[in-house]
Amino acid sequence: MAILRGRFNSERAAWGAGLGAVLAFILILTVAGASGVTFDHTLRTVTMGGALLGLVTGVLGSFAVLRRQSLLGDALSHAALPGVVIAFIVQGRALSALLIGAAIASLTAMAFISALTRTTKIKQDAAQGITLAAWFAFGLILLSYVQGRPDAGQAGLDKFIFGQAAALVQSDVLLIVGVGALVCLIVALFWKEFKLLTFDPEFAAANGFPVRFLDSLLSSLIVAAIVLGLQLAGVILMVGLLIAPAVAARQWTQSLGVMVLLSGAFGAFAGSTGAVLSGVDVNMPTGPLMIVAACAVVLVSVLFAPGRGIVWTVMSRRRERQAVGRPSLGGVQPVMVKRSADDGQ
Amino acid sequence: MDQVLVSLALNFFSADQINAFMSDPRSVATLVGALVAISGALLGTFLFLRQMSLTTDAISHTILLGIVVMFLVMTAGFGLEPDMSSPLLILGAAAAGLLTVMLTETIQRTGLVKADAALGLAFPLLFAISIILVSRYADNVHLDVDSVTVGEIGIAWANTRSVCLEGCESVIITPDSPQAEVARVCANCVAENISPRSPSAVFVENCSNCGTYTAAQAYANGLSETTPTLVFLPKAALTMGIITLINLLFVGLLYKELKLATFDAALARALGLRPGLLHYALMALVSVTAVGAFDAVGAILVVAFFIVPPATAYLLTQRLSRMLLLGALFGALGAYTGYDLARGNLLGLVDMNRVLGWLDGVVGLGGYTTWNVSISASMVMMMFVFLLLAWVFAPRQGLIAGMIRRRSQAVRFTDQIVLRHVANHQGHADESIELAVNTLHEHFRWSASRLGWTLRRLRALNLVHIEDGLVRLTERGTNAVMSLD
Amino acid sequence: MNTKTAPTALEINDLTVSYHSKPALWDIDLSIPEGVMAAIIGPNGAGKSTLIKAVLNLIPRAAGEARFFGLSYQQARNRIGYVPQRGSVDWDFPTSVLDVVMMGLYGKLGWIKRPGKAEREKALGALSQVGLVDFAEHQIGQLSGGQQQRTFLARALVQEADLYFMDEPFAAVDAVTERAIVDILQALRTNGKTVVVVHHDLQTVTDYFDYVALLNVEMIASGTTEAAFTEDNLKRAYGGRVAFLTHQEV
Repeated sequence: MAILRGRFNSERAAWGAGLGAVLAFILILTVAGASGVTFDHTLRTVTMGGALLGLVTGVLGSFAVLRRQSLLGDALSHAALPGVVIAFIVQGRALSALLIGAAIASLTAMAFISALTRTTKIKQDAAQGITLAAWFAFGLILLSYVQGRPDAGQAGLDKFIFGQAAALVQSDVLLIVGVGALVCLIVALFWKEFKLLTFDPEFAAANGFPVRFLDSLLSSLIVAAIVLGLQLAGVILMVGLLIAPAVAARQWTQSLGVMVLLSGAFGAFAGSTGAVLSGVDVNMPTGPLMIVAACAVVLVSVLFAPGRGIVWTVMSRRRERQAVGRPSLGGVQPVMVKRSADDGQ
Repeated sequence: MDQVLVSLALNFFSADQINAFMSDPRSVATLVGALVAISGALLGTFLFLRQMSLTTDAISHTILLGIVVMFLVMTAGFGLEPDMSSPLLILGAAAAGLLTVMLTETIQRTGLVKADAALGLAFPLLFAISIILVSRYADNVHLDVDSVTVGEIGIAWANTRSVCLEGCESVIITPDSPQAEVARVCANCVAENISPRSPSAVFVENCSNCGTYTAAQAYANGLSETTPTLVFLPKAALTMGIITLINLLFVGLLYKELKLATFDAALARALGLRPGLLHYALMALVSVTAVGAFDAVGAILVVAFFIVPPATAYLLTQRLSRMLLLGALFGALGAYTGYDLARGNLLGLVDMNRVLGWLDGVVGLGGYTTWNVSISASMVMMMFVFLLLAWVFAPRQGLIAGMIRRRSQAVRFTDQIVLRHVANHQGHADESIELAVNTLHEHFRWSASRLGWTLRRLRALNLVHIEDGLVRLTERGTNAVMSLD
Repeated sequence: MNTKTAPTALEINDLTVSYHSKPALWDIDLSIPEGVMAAIIGPNGAGKSTLIKAVLNLIPRAAGEARFFGLSYQQARNRIGYVPQRGSVDWDFPTSVLDVVMMGLYGKLGWIKRPGKAEREKALGALSQVGLVDFAEHQIGQLSGGQQQRTFLARALVQEADLYFMDEPFAAVDAVTERAIVDILQALRTNGKTVVVVHHDLQTVTDYFDYVALLNVEMIASGTTEAAFTEDNLKRAYGGRVAFLTHQEV
């Protein structure tokens, strides 16, 4: 009986996927150029900003998805509104103020969610929904107060809802680079701690790691990514930017490190593609285009990734049936090993 | 449908009373808010118990897609001009809601994506598509995004439909009618650029006020003598009223099935109750309700009406029927007090304008101290306030009750530790070591004072006594030692 | 208080753990000497897992303490290995068998430091001990139940501890894997290590273990298998719900 090695070189598949994303982006650039889009300074800035933001949300989205906290991201992004409005009242349109305000609001929301679930029988999803609504409502109240003032200007509920990638300026991009670099640095420093915490928190505790502290740290980083993603895609779509690159990257590799890197790459692809495509039609907001780009990557990954993708599974099952003459196991990758004394098979 | 509702209402109120009520912004806002809250509580309770609260949030976003698609089809395809309460739009919304659920399940079923991530992919994608469609094709249209996302319940009273009660016959004016205004006009003067006096001018009779008039129009134009008795119903109230009725029927008739399907889907399936179908029906109704509520409270706040009151009720009761009732009650209460809050009056206790004034003094608001804020957001805030109150004060699940309970548990547990220890070692060879008063606290790794407190309490309750420097159980104490089975 | 001349591997005194207002563990005294393979047995809900977790400071205790080789847990942490109950892990997590085993060394590495060649060698060594070297690069979800259990065993072995705690290592595992694991544990014991196992199968106690503790919220009895694993004690631990078959009937 032939030994079917159930493993494959995961790195190769992931490299291929990353390369594919780069090629796709170049293709889109070409097509956009051909359709008459001028890559002026503004568009370049927006594209750069989009790529960087997408990178950060992709990296941290991997952890959010693996911790089953995908929808927590949605709740926290809605919860940022009051922080944004208060920051606006205090400091005006400065991006740094908005980011800090949003982060504080989201962190208070996170604290409330865990307090509620800890002290009552209310489950996680309901707690997230309650917090989402209450914080957002509070934000709306603040917003309607602001809009009643003579000095209102467009406080920008629509920017909060739809993102303001198109309004990014050079200084904004520099700020994003700074915050993004810091976030990625912390992730790199605490890499093995975050890995262990996400995979087996009980074992981490038994090995002397302060689980509560690490958990708060990682959650705060996720909040930072959410707050950045808000600028890009707006409150409703932001969670898609957090999740989609990670889900896509998961299909191409079995290594966490490669997954996180690829997820960052996919996020950057989605962010920059959305920006470029929005140049085609002035009316088109960038956020939705980024989401569509990200979901396209997910679709391709889910279908065509070797080893996990649907197309691959179907084809390999067919090959197996022909080769071995009997039905294969379910969706599990077939592993047949040589019988030996110390194997449990 | 509206006729039915109106005739129902007329059993209790006169037409004038209804009109007076419906022209008061406060009453209408409260009524619509309460209807949304009641519908939300009825459906939301089951969603809450099935842990589908965030699916509701997702649906409230994606029904925009259904509305947009239907809207485009109706305007571009058929040249209609629907508004937000058009039944076809509502149908489109329901379809979009179901699409969200099905898309999520499909993604999940690949086995490659977990449940929460699947939802987090489905609804942003659908929402993104709807935004793209809107900006490409429907830019100049009523689909004003701000109002979709935020709604404006404060003007609901102004957008009305009238229902006629008496004197409702329409009036038809033909050229022969006595009120007809007939004149002879030149049909081809303008076209051929000739004067009416020219011999080639052709004259026709033109009745300028012929046609069919509804009773109201006829009266307004002075064509009829009788004043029709009209009842004006705000469209939002009408729509939400009908939807609430449907929800009431659904929950009322299918109560047992819903209950079983929520708590034990497997059993429900085994009994042939089709929990899957029930699930989709529930989701469809959620979509319909959300659309109906859009105009009033907006897309993002809708979810609050579905989750917050049921959660409040959950903290106060363990019975499903009571949970439904309390949820509806708290929702309606939230609507009522929310309107007050929006106008600056928090539960009749605090004047928000004064709060703003104080804040201005403390942090400096530039003197802008008028409180006039979004009504629907205030309603949500009040519902949240009730939730907070329940969180703290609920008799069994509340924080205060919990603290009290934990204290008494801790005390009893501490007592039992000592009692058991004495019971275990009493009469054994090592009792002089194990039960010595002075060293007892070391066995438990407690502080001496903690043991002191416990012993004092136990002695006061006559459960132990000290004999020769050793702790011993009294007869009461022996009985008080808890059995472990 | 007990006074011993030589420190035992594990010394538990007056340990009490509460769950709401009901006791999960009451007044537990237990002393396990070095170099034995000890089983903790008892019916469901007896608090066996709770005992391990309380001893390792994973859950808070209401009273009592535990000492390891005469030292506190903090002092002895590097000499203790733990294999928790299998089950609450996400099997779809993108990590390989080797990776999981290397995680056992994270505690020793301390903050920030990454595992390097030396750690990789140690991990491969542990994997060969459990016979899974060929699976080093496989994603953990691709393994059978028995292989997953052996992976987590390797994760503990790589810590090169003197005292191992294992929570139901043989649950839902086939007979061949069980035999393999027992061989490894007995090899550990031969090398002077101490192994404490929460065990669920009364049939195999006398075959595998030389020390036993019968637990049912309280400590019913403990000692060498010959002394403590008696019909009487078992009846007291299981509340009379245990039947005995002699060798002739089996």
